[in-house]
Amino acid sequence: MGRLALLAIGLTLLATSATAAGRAAPVEDYENVPMPPGFQVVVTELEGPVFADARGHTLYTWPSRRMRNGYTGEAKGVPACFNEKSTENAGLMSPYPPGLLLPDLDTRPTCTEAWPVAVAPADAKPVGAFSIVMRKDGIRQWQYNDHPLYTSFFDRRPGDVLGGTTRSGRAAGNYAWRTPIQPPEKTPSGITVATTAAGRRLVTVGKMSIYVYDKDTPKASACTGQCELSFPPVLAPAAAMAKGEWTTIQRAPGVKQWAFRGQPLYRHAADIERMSMVGGDEPGWSVVYTMKAPPLPPGFTFKETDAGTVVADSRGMTVYKYVCADDALDQLLCDHPKTSQAYRIAICGGGDQARCLREFPPVLAPEGAKSGSNAWGTMYLDPATGHEAAPGDKRALHVWTFRDRPVYTYAGDKFAGDTDGDSRGEFNGARQGFNALFVRDDYFGKAD
Amino acid sequence: MFRRLQRLCAVGALVGLAAPALAADNSPVRQGAIGYALKALYWAVYQTPDGKDECPQGFNTWGPRETFKALFPQDKGQKWTEQESHLAREIEGWFPSDQPEKFPYIEAVGKVALGLNLDGKIGANDFTSPTGEKGVDNELYRVIGCQVHYRLPDGQTTFFDSKAIVTDHYNRMMIEITNVDDLANDPDVTVTVYRGLDPLLTDATGDNIIPGGSQRIDVKRGGRFHQVFKGRIENGVLTTEGKDLTFPWTTGFGTPTVMIVKDLRFQLKLRETGADGLMAGNVDIENFYSQLMKAESTHHEAYGQLSPPGLARSLRARADGYPDPKTGRMTTISAALDARFTQVFILHPPKAIAQSAHSPADAASR
Repeated sequence: MGRLALLAIGLTLLATSATAAGRAAPVEDYENVPMPPGFQVVVTELEGPVFADARGHTLYTWPSRRMRNGYTGEAKGVPACFNEKSTENAGLMSPYPPGLLLPDLDTRPTCTEAWPVAVAPADAKPVGAFSIVMRKDGIRQWQYNDHPLYTSFFDRRPGDVLGGTTRSGRAAGNYAWRTPIQPPEKTPSGITVATTAAGRRLVTVGKMSIYVYDKDTPKASACTGQCELSFPPVLAPAAAMAKGEWTTIQRAPGVKQWAFRGQPLYRHAADIERMSMVGGDEPGWSVVYTMKAPPLPPGFTFKETDAGTVVADSRGMTVYKYVCADDALDQLLCDHPKTSQAYRIAICGGGDQARCLREFPPVLAPEGAKSGSNAWGTMYLDPATGHEAAPGDKRALHVWTFRDRPVYTYAGDKFAGDTDGDSRGEFNGARQGFNALFVRDDYFGKAD
Repeated sequence: MFRRLQRLCAVGALVGLAAPALAADNSPVRQGAIGYALKALYWAVYQTPDGKDECPQGFNTWGPRETFKALFPQDKGQKWTEQESHLAREIEGWFPSDQPEKFPYIEAVGKVALGLNLDGKIGANDFTSPTGEKGVDNELYRVIGCQVHYRLPDGQTTFFDSKAIVTDHYNRMMIEITNVDDLANDPDVTVTVYRGLDPLLTDATGDNIIPGGSQRIDVKRGGRFHQVFKGRIENGVLTTEGKDLTFPWTTGFGTPTVMIVKDLRFQLKLRETGADGLMAGNVDIENFYSQLMKAESTHHEAYGQLSPPGLARSLRARADGYPDPKTGRMTTISAALDARFTQVFILHPPKAIAQSAHSPADAASR
């Protein structure tokens, strides 16, 4: 598939981000690198450009991560996910010991049922950063930078990235999560793109935010003198050349400054945290996105809290997601209505699903509600089980979803902007528990 | 100006070297105001050597690991499901019942505790402070006094909670004392609580907090924590009236938690370089427990052999204030915090920005 055709897939997926004038929102550019036949790049709403297989299904790696009591995931070139069903927990997370029988074993998938192997045909040859490893089960598997590749059984359509994320551990959760693979960014040296809750954002390689100033022009900076001390320019090497969306302006003889999409770039001297966005609170200044996350569905809004900005319902009450990965070696997710509900019901209802519905009620969606994006949607939930409802079930709740998981409010939040439901769960809610949908977090990195 | 200097010099001459004077050019008291930022905060636990006086039965040892091992022994080959073991214990932590477990929960005993007389009475159940003040209300001490988690110098909560006061800007609580004529004696001062925005100033090692740093006021996210107290200074000790205060307090694991205290008052020994003393009031027990569960989680509770269900039952049993109008159950527990502040220069925002922020009235309406 040609580059333009792939970009067209991305643009189609992002059509909902179109501006009021009908123009498509900017799409992140990337380096065109060699890929195996049939592989493609899909520009997704939340993760930006990702590699996908011929069906458009996102490709993931499972990097080894250190848990509390050991490591899990995969070392380079060593697949560890097979057509085997884990039956016991592994004791990777203290204080509970290993050897406990996992819930809902009759419906639990094997590792490769949940994470189908990206199979390399018999005649496939390594190309670029893509190589092939022979698994112990005799299957030839694609790798990227020597990490074995999988797809996710959560992903159904091109553009879905429902099995993992490139976001930080604070956002992903406290487990060995899967990571979608991405083509190299098209950014100058020293600048990178970070996936955040609000979109794909330009930052320095040290993860400090980059800003633009609305008084600047594509040719000149309006930030000089004292302003320059508060917002130091992102300087470019003397030999820097314009390329694609990247240009330079001349601040002084021999002093070049990078500009992106015609806007000169700056750092904020008073940012004290990585990924901090506080410079954007200064009039005229804003952080820079290569792509913004899709707009919220009707009835949702943003709300300021003590820690940052969250997604809120129409009353301004904080909206939560549920995070879960079980303590088995294969680290399967348990955060989706089609997985075991035992963990969620323990935390939100003390083992009682009816109490869950009271404590963390899902956000109801009107019949026929349309989100306008791929990231947000609706589903029918069986109120008695928390699983997806059978078609035609009259008791079913029609609820809003984000990344194909229901979103909730918390009964313990008394006032708009409260986030008392955040971190309720194991390991500060990062192992399995409820987390506010932060789109900006000034303190904890939950939006990064 | 001259009159003010004259007055300050006179005050300085009167109080001499023992009390801080305002006349020196390098005094941190500027235009009748001095600021302090919190640098350490602990639940006030009176400790005798080895805890023999207050914990004659010893300390609590039935933490999550110990109770789990006793309830779900694995040495005889028996298999337990996640639901009947691990998740059952999490449920007992998150939704603690009033039914006692077979594991003991040891409370502190004795007549001595740190704290303040919150209700102005000397009751049979009250403590006496180590310096002899009677009528001290600190029922929380009974709950946590024999829990190593809360004991200095190395209890889990004391370590993490206080460390985060320094390392997490989320926790940047400040007080500004204004209308100060004399830092040793002044019958009428105003104490305003703000949230700050900046890291604390340290020496070159990065480990030791030093006075003299600057702190901007967090007008964007600090409104909920803004409160104003009236107070007085006697012999260098600031004592304020009681008012409800919510302040940010996370242990730094990504949990945006707060502490809610009703009728809180400060009693702090003031110095030009810092202030130390007590913050005492009636702590909302549901919020206290929720903060513990969210911020510590079972993992860190296990380090300190802290049993959440046991603590929850003790907390409910010892709660002594603000009865729920419907159920009659007490919703708060008297408590005291050991608070240590460093002097800072508080930078006020331009008036327009300050006015756009939450007002104390907003905070009180929550």
